[in-house]
This record gives sequence, structure tokens and C-alpha cells, in this order.
Amino acid sequence: MSRLLIWTLLLLTLSAPATGAVLPSAEEIQRLGARMYREGILPDGQAMKAFVSNDVAVDGTAFTCVSCHLRSGLGSVEGEVVTPPTNGRILYQERKPYIKGKEFVPSVANYAKYLPVRPAYTDETLATLISAGVDPTGRSVLSVMPRYELEDRDMAILIAYLKTLSDRPSPGVGKQEIRFATVIVEGSDPVAVESMVTPLQFSVDRKNSLAKAAGVNERVARMGYNMLGDLHGYTFTLTRWILKGDPATWRAQLEEYDRKEPAFALLGGISPGTWEPVHRFCEERGIPDLFPVVDDPVLSDTDWYTHYLSRGVRQEGEAAARYLHGMVELIRDRAIVQVIRDGRRGRALADGFRTVWAETGHTPAVDIVLPAGEPLTAEALRQAVAGHKPAVLILWDDAGLINPLGELMADPSRPGMIVASATWLGSAATTVPEALRAPLFLTWPYRLPQDDKRYDIAARKVLAGKRPDKYDQVILRQSYITQDVLGRALMMMRGEFYRDFLLDTIGMMEDMYYPLYERVSFGPGQRYASKGCYIVQLGKGENPQFEKRSEWVIQ
Amino acid sequence: MRITLVRLLTLLLVPYLVASTAPAEELGRYERSVERYAIPDVVLTNQNGDKVRLKSLLESGQPVAVDFIYATCTTICPILSAGYAHLQRKLGSESSKVHLVSITIDPENDTPPILKDYLAKYQARPGWDFLTGSRRDIDRVMTAFNAYFRDKMDHKPLTFIRMPKDGSWVRLYGLMNGIDFVEEYRQAGNL
Repeated sequence: MSRLLIWTLLLLTLSAPATGAVLPSAEEIQRLGARMYREGILPDGQAMKAFVSNDVAVDGTAFTCVSCHLRSGLGSVEGEVVTPPTNGRILYQERKPYIKGKEFVPSVANYAKYLPVRPAYTDETLATLISAGVDPTGRSVLSVMPRYELEDRDMAILIAYLKTLSDRPSPGVGKQEIRFATVIVEGSDPVAVESMVTPLQFSVDRKNSLAKAAGVNERVARMGYNMLGDLHGYTFTLTRWILKGDPATWRAQLEEYDRKEPAFALLGGISPGTWEPVHRFCEERGIPDLFPVVDDPVLSDTDWYTHYLSRGVRQEGEAAARYLHGMVELIRDRAIVQVIRDGRRGRALADGFRTVWAETGHTPAVDIVLPAGEPLTAEALRQAVAGHKPAVLILWDDAGLINPLGELMADPSRPGMIVASATWLGSAATTVPEALRAPLFLTWPYRLPQDDKRYDIAARKVLAGKRPDKYDQVILRQSYITQDVLGRALMMMRGEFYRDFLLDTIGMMEDMYYPLYERVSFGPGQRYASKGCYIVQLGKGENPQFEKRSEWVIQ
Repeated sequence: MRITLVRLLTLLLVPYLVASTAPAEELGRYERSVERYAIPDVVLTNQNGDKVRLKSLLESGQPVAVDFIYATCTTICPILSAGYAHLQRKLGSESSKVHLVSITIDPENDTPPILKDYLAKYQARPGWDFLTGSRRDIDRVMTAFNAYFRDKMDHKPLTFIRMPKDGSWVRLYGLMNGIDFVEEYRQAGNL
């Protein structure tokens, strides 16, 4: 027994909270704490050590705090595992019993209201939880929670960091109002702009009508609560942030808009060219930027705040490479030639193909760059074919490729397979002559048009009776997705309107079946909503339809 | 000093400290059954981008375990993968005798490079393959193992170990600790 006492004293001494440790500056706590929380790296650069499932040693780099508690610290629910919030604001408050039946809980994400009661944590009890997995009631928490080996100072830094997570209202969130903005780059096609803004404004107006009605009618208020939970009384605003001039000046314009009227999140957004300055601004300021309508998104494995509808036109090039990889036995050692129209779109398509083709272990394709503005000619194609005798000719160009390609068909040495982008050909794709349809394979990153018709009613709902033919049908559908994902996420956030939690919540969503894309899927840290792209061919006759030649996602 | 000692002491003392209040430990409560599954004849893609015929891979006669995970999973999959990594470490130089197979339930996102990065994060040794494929084929595999998940966010902790003596599978449902997993693997006749 005396031995047990000694062990107990030792334990209490060693697991004592890090209150005595000297903490670094607030900036250092943010930097070092974030590294521990998100990357599992200790201040000295070593990996955090932990045990899960009682006896399985894991490196913090494989299994970090953020894995389950998410970036906001507000917890997660996935499969059968519920992870409670781990931010100081909630941990250091007593968790009282939630009275069932008192309020309606509209979403499974409100799990946090049903967690077991416990007293408020202190630094001491929180240190015990992190190192030993025992909460202030003496209950051993799920063994999926790693037990971390931390020195006193490291523990103190981590606890100090937890206290800063989701600890103050996000900009753009008032007591009963959430402000949003949409960025419109001057020079964007007016039809495209209206197609992007209309669904967002519809969603905002609808929400505000409900909040207004709820304010004067108790029955509506009850219905609103049943539908939207904590969100029901909020009104929304949507402001247009117009960017003008050289992209180098956008940063200052964005800062001014943000200073005058900060937005909780940027919704949609449109640019005829680059989006990078907006992307960078959002990353640095920590502003969610949901689904801008751009062809060439900023790709990054580590950025967090801008979510895109897809990887842009690049995704078509990637799909083409995966499709050809699947038939590599037909290609064997023969060359592939990529004819690339110089410009953002051509380069993105070609780079998508090039990257995946290299990843799958193939000899690089031969690239031939066409200067911008110079028409593609049959002679240029003949030279490309004669010089390399390719098995596959890839043409990343607009509808101007159709006629010269038709002429090439008469050439006996023409390649057996030609790949092009259906989105770049546009409506001209249906004018491709029959003789060209057999060898021509097209990339198409949407659900087939004939299959997407059944989503027309949903997409047109946001037009509120306006004429559909006045809008760009692709952008209209993209913006429909934006407003719907936002609405679902806000409902799941159980009143915790924090910017990081908005993105955490989208990451917890199930796969969605929307207009336009065959499937929209999320997941923790996944920033591209649609990941698929069909390879299609044109059917026979006038006004041919696309026919699938691949799965939506090609592996 | 690192408080490794604390962890050891904690494991020793926690039962004394919380015996009266702690709920039944959730580990060790996994469900175990022995099943027969017909493996569908599908071709999947491994972390190196190579096409693999699943039936040949699983029914080669070599000891094999299968689980269903995805690369950006936050909770269940890291535990299952930590269990795989633990088994490989325990087996040391003999780890290559054991074939561990993870099959993604998020083929939308999990491309071969992502699978490769995931294995590297867990310091996987040779013998642990992570497979992706078309959603239709993945669905067929999940269905064959009576492990179909409507959505990846609904998935459950399932591990399957093939018994070489008769080709039946031990189905393990729950989050196991490392010792139990090694023991199940041994009992299945694979060690």
C-alpha cells in the first residue's frame, strides 16, 4: 500500500499542471501552440509522442489534436466517434445537463449539447486530461483520445493555445446579423456576374424574410427554430466588393473593404483572370472564401481558407492523363503529342495532364505551344503528326481546332485517338463532323447535360420566376451549390459562428448530389468540392449527345 | 524530462483512481465473428499507381488483413492505421510476411499520391498496401465484406483477417487495442 502511495504522489507531482512554467509571448504561443495542435511538433522540433487505444504508440505527426477536435477546436462527429470541443472558452465552463424536449435540436451536429455533465476544467485538470486521459469527474475518456507525453512548459503552451481557439466572435458576426461579401473583379461578363450573384442574393433574401416574419409571429418563430435552430433569428447581408485595375492593387482595395465592413465569409466571387490576390488575402486574414467562379484556382496542399468548386480546367487535363493511363497497353512506347494554346487555360490543361502523366510513370508527352491569337492550321497538325507519329494527339484549344482536325482525318498517318476539352469547344462541340467523332475523346467535368435536366427545377428555384435563358447555366448551378452548402453548414454550427468552424463543418458534411456535378464531396481538409471529370464521345446524328467513356472519377 | 513515467504510472493507477466512476472501458468490447466472403473480381489501384486484382491479392494464401479507411479521416481511420503500424513494428523484420490492405472509401479524393503520403505518415513498411479504384468497384468490395457505408462520414471501425486454413474471415467490429489486434492476428493462424 505504501508503494501505491509513493506511485500516487509521484504521479500527482509529475502530472501537475504547467502553471509554474514560464510562458513565451502571446505570438510565440500562437506559433508554437498551433504547431503542436495542428502538426504534432513540439517547440523543440521533435514529434509529440502519444499512446492511443491504451498501448499503441503514435507520433503526433500522424495523429494530432486537429485530427479530431478540428482547427476551430469545436470538435467533430464522424462515424461512431464524437469529439467534444477543446477550446478554452468551453472547457473552462461547467457543462450543465441539457434538458431534452426543452428545445428542438435540428441537426446531428448539435451532439455537443448532449455530452455528459462535468465541472469546469482548470489548468491542472486539463493537463491531467491531456497526459492521462482522465476528466475532472475522474472518468477515463475514450481511448481514441491520445495520451500525450509533454513536459511542463510544452503542456503550458498547448493549454494557453487552446484558450485562444474560437475565443472571440469572428468579424462579420453580430448579435443577430451575419455579414457576407462577394468579390467581383471588374471586367467580368455581366451575365456571368448576375448568374453568380442571383442565387446568393435569393438565399440571403429568403433567410431575412423568415427572420423578419419570426420577429412578429410566434408561430413562424417556432417553425424557424425547428428548421434552423440557433440560426433562425439571424439576418444576413451580402455586399459586393468590386475590384478594379491592376491585380497588384487589389490587396489594398480588399483591405479597405474589410476595414469598412468586415465579412464573416466571402461567397462565390468571380474573375475573368487570376484569383490569386483574393486567395492570398483570405489566407492571411483567415477569411473563408467559398467557391469562387474561376477556371484556374490556386492549388495548394496546405492553404485552408479558399474552397473551390473543383481544381478548375486543370482537372480536365488530369482526367485525360488518368484515362490514357488506363489504356497504356494500347499506347505502348508510342509518343503522345500535346498541342497547347498559349494562355492561362491552355497552360492549366497541359500542366494537369503533364503532372498526372508523370506521376503514373510515363515518358513525358511532346509539347507544342501555339502562340496566342495564331490560328491552328491543318498543316501545323500534319507537321506535329509527321514529326512524332503519336498514338494520341491532345489538342488544348478552342473550337478553332475543329476544321483543321477534320482535314487531318484524311491523312493516313493520323493518330487513332485525339483528346480535347469539351468545355473549351463550348456549344461548337455538337458541330463536330461525324467522321471526326470516332477518334475524338473529350473531357467533360460536369454531369452529362441530358442527365442534369432533372436538376433544372432545383437550380431555377433560386431565380424566383426570372427567365432562365438570361443566365449562364453553369455559373447559376455553381452558385446554387454555394448558397446551399453555406446554409447547411450554418445550420450545423449550433450557434458557434466562427470562421474556422465554418470550414470545419463543411469538412464534416456528407457527399452531396447537386445540379451540375455528378457528386460534390467534402472531408476534413478537402478544398475542392467536385473531383470528377468524364471522358466522353459524341453520339451520332444532328445535335449529338455526349456518351460516357469513363467513370466520373478515373483512377 | 519527458513524462513517459507518468504515462506508465497513469496506466497503473487509473483503475485505482477511477474504478468507481469510470464506465466500462470501450476497448476490448469489439465484436468478433467468423464469416465467409466472396471477393469480387475487381481491379483496384495501389499507392504506386499499379493495377492490382483484388481477388488474387487477398486469396494468395499469404496472411492478410483488410480494413476500410480514407486519407482525410479524422477519427476512426487514424486509430485503425495506428493499429496496422503497431502490428508491423511488433513483427519487426518479419513484418513483410504479413500483408495489410487498406481500401479507401473515398475514391473521389484518394488518388495514388495521396495514398502514398498517407502510408508515409504512418511509417508504413513494405507489406501494407492502400488501394483505390472506381466508386462502383469500391462499393462492390464493401458490399462483399458486408461493410457497405452509404457515406464515408457514416463509416464504422471494421477489420477483417483471413484465416489461411480455410479461407474464412475473422470480422472485428470496434476499436481494438494493439495487443488484441496482434492476438487476433495470431489466433487466425497468421503468425
